[in-house]
Amino acid sequence: MIILGLFGVVFLGYLAWLTWAAIAYPIPLSYNLRSLWQRKVATVSTAGAIALVVGIFVVVLSLAQGLSKAFVSSGRADQAIVMRSNAQFELNSSIDRGQVRILKVHPLVAKDATGPLVSAEVVVIKIFQKSDGADTNVTVRGLEPTGIRMRSQVKLTQGRWFRPGLSEVVVPRKMQLRFTGMELSRILKMGGRDWEVVGVFDGGGSSFDSEIWSDVVDIQQAYKRESFSSVLARLDTPERFKAFKASVDEDKRLKLDAVSEKAYFTELTKSGDPIRILGNLITLILTVGAIFAAMNTMYASVSGRTKEIGTLRAIGFRRREILASFQWESILLCGLGGIVGAFLALFANGIQTGTTSFQTFSDVSFAFTITPVLMLEGVAFSLVMGLVGGFFPAWRASRIPLAEAMKG
Amino acid sequence: MNGTLNGSMNGDAIIKLRNIAKSYWRETLEIPVLQGIDFDIPKGGYYALMGPSGSGKTTLLNLIAGIDRPTGGSLEVCGYELNDLDDDELAAWRNAHVGFIFQNYNLIPVLTAFENVELPLLLTPMSRRERRERVEEVLALVNLEDRMLNYPRQLSGGQEQRVAIARAIVGDPDLLVADEPTGALDHQNAEEVLNLMARLNTDMGKTILVVTHDPKAAHHARFQIHLDKGVFDKTVEVNR
Ligand SMILES: Nc1ncnc2c1ncn2[C@@H]1O[C@H](COP(=O)(O)OP(=O)(O)OP(=O)(O)O)[C@@H](O)[C@H]1O
Ligand SMILES: [Mg+2]
Repeated sequence: MIILGLFGVVFLGYLAWLTWAAIAYPIPLSYNLRSLWQRKVATVSTAGAIALVVGIFVVVLSLAQGLSKAFVSSGRADQAIVMRSNAQFELNSSIDRGQVRILKVHPLVAKDATGPLVSAEVVVIKIFQKSDGADTNVTVRGLEPTGIRMRSQVKLTQGRWFRPGLSEVVVPRKMQLRFTGMELSRILKMGGRDWEVVGVFDGGGSSFDSEIWSDVVDIQQAYKRESFSSVLARLDTPERFKAFKASVDEDKRLKLDAVSEKAYFTELTKSGDPIRILGNLITLILTVGAIFAAMNTMYASVSGRTKEIGTLRAIGFRRREILASFQWESILLCGLGGIVGAFLALFANGIQTGTTSFQTFSDVSFAFTITPVLMLEGVAFSLVMGLVGGFFPAWRASRIPLAEAMKG
Repeated sequence: MNGTLNGSMNGDAIIKLRNIAKSYWRETLEIPVLQGIDFDIPKGGYYALMGPSGSGKTTLLNLIAGIDRPTGGSLEVCGYELNDLDDDELAAWRNAHVGFIFQNYNLIPVLTAFENVELPLLLTPMSRRERRERVEEVLALVNLEDRMLNYPRQLSGGQEQRVAIARAIVGDPDLLVADEPTGALDHQNAEEVLNLMARLNTDMGKTILVVTHDPKAAHHARFQIHLDKGVFDKTVEVNR
């Protein structure tokens, strides 16, 4: 930790010095830009490699961001998910009618005109075929009409919501892009029954974008379930959650656990970890490669310009000005690639994709969103690559003995 | 005649060499290149340094111009004992006191004639405007005011060397050093460059030290110093 901090201080100090050097006694940056232009082939291929790495870097960043958005935007702090003790996930949980009845009249639960804001729900997994032909698990959620209203981020975009008793389903718009046969009025086969798609909704990037919704009783009947998976309950304020949880814990009849909806989904975010780690690993390997590419190009450039360096030194430029100049050249080279790469990443913008959650073993879909901030991060990343990759060549350039450099 | 010239061992000397020695080492083997050179050049002098290939001319010129350091002896150039200056001070000293002219011009290929000439001034506190005026002035002096925006590859060899001369004098140094300045030029261009250097010496009072094989070039100088195997052979005054 201390070493890392020390490294950071040295790094920032060097950066500050470079900036100062560029302002104080500059070998003009145009000299570096034109030198890069003169070595077009080397410049373009190196910048291209940097662009590729930066593009991938930005996409990996957006993946991590997309995944956490899918989960974090799913939960509210003033809602509690009640499951069987130690169930951890809805799929492992079971709650019977009696327990549901007790929860519906719990004094801490919020009410509106139609009654208590409580939805008893059942979750099952069904295999569907994706557009690419692969089979994947999809979460099917049966819920009460109240449950729809309790998820304000979910909006109907087409058709209507399901009606109880008619074996109707609504599907997320995003899922339609990735699965076949989910268009409006198509029939889905689940639990030995035919279900008509009567509506399409938009989950606003939440994890509900990965769920098919239907009436809770219909799902229970089709899958011959007596029990529910979970109960979602709205509280008056987020502060009430603690008291609610305590009272659920204490109630000997219930043997249930309450978690805040927000915490529940934050926990689920961890399902993105394996791909995130893999993505980071790939980026790391590519980054090391790109830094070596930049280093190599700069070394070649330095040895091809020994005489130029000698001339500059003879004129009166000091070692440190040579160091700064070549360091800037490398930063410019990589920055150029970085800008191109950040724009390359835009091609991934809006692409819908999905992954298997390692907690629930069902499909999670999310979108790549390439924001300007991510793009800037990508460019900044390329500048760091230029700084690191260019340091040793620039150092060598500044260390060539003058009398030798003059000979070329 | 020994290495000391015309009673110029006085306060007026711009270059004072005392027992200068320079050796290179190949592993443990010492290769002496210059030995015991004592020598003064007065301010405003025009000297040609001659001698067979490998006699140490470039080596000596590099020592005098602060490009390299001697392994023995002391040298005072333009009022500074060079052994006392560290690398940074030496760089600043070169910038202020020495103009360089090379055989292959050594212009920066990606910079225009104007930008090449401007380079030494970037190390001075001059404003952009002052620099521009000064660069235009010296480019006019070498008759290249209409070639300012050309890159070196768009110039002839003679023009390139004149740009290099402009760059050498733009900072108004006291001393000009040239290593085979006409070595890559044809007869006419060489003549033009030599006349220009003569004018810098007579009209502007620059001290010039030029290494050359070319008898014509040597003839432009007022004294010829002959170096052989790292020691002074003879000094000849040029008769006109
Ligand atoms: N870096 C070096 N290492 C070892 N020996 C060197 C080095 N530089 C020069 N020499 C030797 O020093 C001697 C003088 O070299 P110098 O370049 O000064 O000769 P010169 O008189 O300029 O010759 P020329 O007329 O061919 O340019 C030569 O024998 C050369 O081989
Ligand atoms: Mg030589």
